[in-house]
Amino acid sequence: MNLHSILLFLQELPLAAAVRGDNPGTEWLFPIVETCHVLTLTLVFGSIVMVDLRLLGWTSPGTSISRLTRETLPWTWTAWLLAAITGSTLFISKAVTYAGNFEFRMKFVCMALAGVNMLVFHFGAYRTVANWDMGRAPTAARLAGGLSLAFWIAVIFFGRWVGFTT
Amino acid sequence: MFRPFADWVASTSLSQTFQNHLWVVPTSQAIHIVCICVLFTSALMINLRLLGVGASGRSISQLTENLVPWMWRALGVLLLTGTVQTIAEPVRQFVTPVFWAKMAMIAMVATMTVAFARKVRADAARWDAAGTRPSAARAFAVGSSLLWIAIIVCGRFIAYTSAFYT
Repeated sequence: MNLHSILLFLQELPLAAAVRGDNPGTEWLFPIVETCHVLTLTLVFGSIVMVDLRLLGWTSPGTSISRLTRETLPWTWTAWLLAAITGSTLFISKAVTYAGNFEFRMKFVCMALAGVNMLVFHFGAYRTVANWDMGRAPTAARLAGGLSLAFWIAVIFFGRWVGFTT
Repeated sequence: MFRPFADWVASTSLSQTFQNHLWVVPTSQAIHIVCICVLFTSALMINLRLLGVGASGRSISQLTENLVPWMWRALGVLLLTGTVQTIAEPVRQFVTPVFWAKMAMIAMVATMTVAFARKVRADAARWDAAGTRPSAARAFAVGSSLLWIAIIVCGRFIAYTSAFYT
């Protein structure tokens, strides 16, 4: 079973047909799922930005970084999971087209880079957070914050462009 | 009734320039989404804090002081990019009641937020202690959260409802 046949299989699922609006009464399914995707992704990006900006020292001065991270992370992951579910639902409606789309692919490259950046930060600079929790983050941590911001902004840009190029 | 005005805007040279450069609208929309993330997450964080959920490390007045300036900055960029999109596609925006509902709700929630931030600044001690917080605080938290969600939903649905009015 190659990738193309998997994509075709997904695209032929009844749910995919419904999201495409193939059946009468399902014409509004795509806009509804898409709106849910937008609502959830705002929380993913918004909660990440809040930590990134704190790491960069641009906002929330004097706020404990570890506490901010602990409080925002459950929101980030919950929202990310919901964005992934709604996103996958949109994806299967035109799986072959999306999979071959340059902007769509770039979006996932950027998200993967954001993930790697997060892991490097978590197992690197973040281990010494106790030393700089309330103050200025070290260069490595600020770099992680800046990169995270850049990768996630790129994810949003490519994501929006997918809508214009498919 | 807005159709003649929309047609006039569409005929201006600025609108023509935006229409002829295909990258303008998607780029503006992507910046728009980035700012929605900042604004919506900040609003939700303050509102949840008012309802007693999360951000326990910061008092209401601290949180408001940290986040409200970012909300105004984001709103400024949102109005700017929104104006670019409206100049580029005036007919699409002006014909659908969803656009006008969105504008009315933005005016409403902005007014509410100004009043809220002013009240918190005037009497921080009263707002920071859970017991003495005005009862209107909970109404504000729930009301403004629902308004922001409705605004985002309307924003996405402008694209899908315009076709019925043109």
